[in-house]
Amino acid sequence: MSASNVTATGINRSERITLIRFIGLYSFLVLMILILGSTIYFKLQKDLMLQTKRLELEEYSKELIDGLKLLHIYFDRYRTYPRNSLYRSAIYDADHVQIFSTLKDPQGVQLDKVIYTTDGVIQYIHVLDSYYLGTKYTVVEIDDDKVWFKEAWRNILLYGGVLLFIFMAAGVVLMRLFLSPMREAIHLLDRFIKDTTHELNTPVSAILSNIEMIDQKRLDEKTARKIRRIEIGARTISTIYQDLTYLALDHQIVSEDRDTDVSALLKERIEYFKILGESKKITFKTDIQPGVKLFIDPAKLARLIDNLLSNAIKYNRRGGTVYIALHPKELVIKDTGIGMEKKEIAEAFKRYKRFKSGAGGFGIGLNIVAMIASEYNLDVKIESKKGQGSEVFVKWDV
Amino acid sequence: MGRIAVTILLIFSALQGSGMNIYERNCVKCHENLPVSLDKFFFNYLLKYSSERQVKQALRNYLKHPRRKASLATEELLERYGIMPKSNLSDEELRKAIDIYWDKYKVFGKIE
Repeated sequence: MSASNVTATGINRSERITLIRFIGLYSFLVLMILILGSTIYFKLQKDLMLQTKRLELEEYSKELIDGLKLLHIYFDRYRTYPRNSLYRSAIYDADHVQIFSTLKDPQGVQLDKVIYTTDGVIQYIHVLDSYYLGTKYTVVEIDDDKVWFKEAWRNILLYGGVLLFIFMAAGVVLMRLFLSPMREAIHLLDRFIKDTTHELNTPVSAILSNIEMIDQKRLDEKTARKIRRIEIGARTISTIYQDLTYLALDHQIVSEDRDTDVSALLKERIEYFKILGESKKITFKTDIQPGVKLFIDPAKLARLIDNLLSNAIKYNRRGGTVYIALHPKELVIKDTGIGMEKKEIAEAFKRYKRFKSGAGGFGIGLNIVAMIASEYNLDVKIESKKGQGSEVFVKWDV
Repeated sequence: MGRIAVTILLIFSALQGSGMNIYERNCVKCHENLPVSLDKFFFNYLLKYSSERQVKQALRNYLKHPRRKASLATEELLERYGIMPKSNLSDEELRKAIDIYWDKYKVFGKIE
């Protein structure tokens, strides 16, 4: 991934979430509308089909009634039910008792309706005025050829699909329209952060290198102290700059992993932070085994160590101590500061989380530590007691 | 099956023994003399009242309270023979007579 399309504020990710949520809600509503429309269309098609079939069924019904009439008159001589190969039928008396039936399934008959479909057949109910053979209801049944059914479904799927596509396209256009002002604002902010971070580097480096060039022995006590304070300030800014660039760019570009001498790097970083600790009269006690190696991007390891050291100083009390121990496969940094409660430990790795507003910083330190640790499968554990200090264990290859 | 047939035979012979049943004694006897047979009346009732329950109820009402308006006979028949005299059978006897009448002429199970 190139750095150019990476953003400091994570716009792509949050934009995608917004997009997914919007599309989800929108598709739900669109589907609801389409289902409602389809249901109405289906019902209309069915009614239309029944209306067409009704004419045919009414004819059959009349024919059946004529047959019943004859049967009624000549029942003493002739008892054959009027049948026709075009339809099946049944007759019921006023108490809904079946008198005779040639229906496929006489169970499904609904005498209170006029025309309906059931189980692949269309049934038409006619109520007689004269009850030939006691018949009050005639039921005439024909097979439902399902042509209308297939056609209705085909139309629903076809037009529904086209409508869905149009709706979704409109939705995407609408959303782009709504999102574009927000997106512009965020891009502006993003570019600002990147530019600012970049522009910070040169002046801070200039300050730091120039301070180093000053021969402090030739200065009087007062000026030397002031220079020292300036150096502390510049180093703090430099650390913040490193963190910001890491968050904005570094962690998204390819790592330059190599066998890194952790011992040497750790010593170097402690040297760098000693001057920051001096203002709080903090003592550093170290137990560093030489030659400890780890396959990692040294810049990232430096970020990890810097953040742990910086926290150990930031959250320490005045005149406290920072213990640093390095053994093969383990780095321990312990402070004698304010400590944390159990609940706070769990939250410590979240971005922008700060436990002491007076301590400064952005609350991104441990978040960076967690990111680097997860990239290299390092195991980071915090043990802490409120008021007694915290101990951070970084283990690898376990 | 054989046992049922024997039972039915026994019932029939018993009826034969006592002569005629209540329907034959009280209905057929009079109607035999009319030009319109009883089955025609039955089918007229069926035509107007449809179901077993309603036909029987209408028959019972008419036999207990014969009225010209409620009669299903033709005008000519009424002109000539007048309306049927009120039945003097008890409710139970009337019910039995009507049941026999219904069973004799009902269309259930007879249509082919």
